[in-house]
Amino acid sequence: MHEEALFAGLTRKVEEVAREHQIRRVTRVRLWVGALSHLTEEGMRRRWELEVPGTIAEGATLIVETSSDLSDPRAGDVLLKSLDGDG
Amino acid sequence: MTERTIAVDYLARVEGEGALTVRIQDQRVEDVKLRIFEPPRFFEAFLRGRSYLEAPDITARICGICPVAYQMSSCHAMEHALEMRVDGMIRELRRLLYCGEWIESHTLHVYLLHLPDFLGLPDAVRLAKDHPEAVRRGLALKKAGNHLMQVLGGREIHPINVRVGGFYRCPTVDELGALRPELETALGLAEETVRFVAKLPLPDVAEDYEFVSLRHEHEYPLNEGEIVSSRGLRIPVTDYESAFEEVQVPHSTALHSVRKGGGSYLVGPLARYALNHDRLGPRARAAAKEAGISDVVRNPAQSVVVRAVEVVYACEEALRILDAYERPAEPFVPPPETRTARVGMAATEAPRGTLYHRYRLDPGGLIAEAKIVAPTSQNQRRIEDDLRHVVERSLAMDEPALTDACERAIRHHDPCISCSTHFLRLTVERS
Repeated sequence: MHEEALFAGLTRKVEEVAREHQIRRVTRVRLWVGALSHLTEEGMRRRWELEVPGTIAEGATLIVETSSDLSDPRAGDVLLKSLDGDG
Repeated sequence: MTERTIAVDYLARVEGEGALTVRIQDQRVEDVKLRIFEPPRFFEAFLRGRSYLEAPDITARICGICPVAYQMSSCHAMEHALEMRVDGMIRELRRLLYCGEWIESHTLHVYLLHLPDFLGLPDAVRLAKDHPEAVRRGLALKKAGNHLMQVLGGREIHPINVRVGGFYRCPTVDELGALRPELETALGLAEETVRFVAKLPLPDVAEDYEFVSLRHEHEYPLNEGEIVSSRGLRIPVTDYESAFEEVQVPHSTALHSVRKGGGSYLVGPLARYALNHDRLGPRARAAAKEAGISDVVRNPAQSVVVRAVEVVYACEEALRILDAYERPAEPFVPPPETRTARVGMAATEAPRGTLYHRYRLDPGGLIAEAKIVAPTSQNQRRIEDDLRHVVERSLAMDEPALTDACERAIRHHDPCISCSTHFLRLTVERS
């Protein structure tokens, strides 16, 4: 349910990182979703489609890696692992 | 131009926070104000000018934990406006979908938001480390609720299969039957959950709540009933606004609900249980008895046990519906043509408490006015009262300990507030 609030921060971060590394077009974004994060891949993808148009990540492929490891110290979190881009 | 990969490892955060301001004068708590930083969402305004048929899908977006509640209250309100009656298997399927939401939402609250507090752990991640078997049980239980939502609602979050009059498609007997083994296991896990939470070291406090919930002639309330209170109120849902009002407070964007001419009141599991424990199924009643809770629970911490009992009920009710299921000939009752202006209202029991909707429709069936009173706004005044008592009992605590105590008090009632309030900012003004 918090996808919107989450993606608001994530897309901002993608733009910030891309700018910092002189990336002109983001082609791939990798997310890691912890086992206790309450988020589903399907829900994240739906939100992604709404959030990215008009941003530097428009048209980029979203890769979601869902962890099932309950003992991971970041099991409750969502991480922006990496992004690929041209520039 | 070259393609590069940049490693980031940025931790994404939900952007939400709560703030509590406490004013203490001469060792007395003068004022307590809880603020939730959420911008106004304007749902009631979005609905104006939209077809009445769109209300279930638009209002479902208000909450990702309890979208079914919004769909149910809006459908029932529209059906009231259109003088429709939805009975039989379609009515049963609505209860079944609601059971899925209760299982999912309550389990999330019990295991991932509430339980760490009683075990002295900071969060669910630490809980998974120290009590992996409990977390596995919670996740399996939650999954059973999710599957119900998926099969009946079309997907787990924000279901898309609900419409005014019923459903777009009703599942086949085999599709629902396939859920039986998982739900049977879930019922056992829910009973284990009650036993587990009943042994927790809970603080011994009692609050003088006015409990408010629906009450139905035969059933533990989900979709229908009269509105009753522990102080003798008994009214049809259509009179809701004669007994309750929403007031604006300068310190919050959320409206606060109060009893007209009275004060705060509490909706949710404690209220439902106190006013309807005689309507629980045999397994849930037995679980409550074994857990040793009384028929009226005034200790907010014990809501963890009551919530677990309600999960037992949701599982046994789901199995009852499943076993009697026959696929209806039509998935919905067709709404009549709308030619005159109409008003409809309904209340249903969201996991967090009573959710009231009222709509005014113009002669063409467009929404002219919408009013939605969510459980969170009904409980917010009462949560402030609880917080005042927590602060009064804890005047000697330092501020980190007091913050912790206040966060726990919020988590007794509301997963939505507590989710966005991992970091309650506490300001104590002493004079």
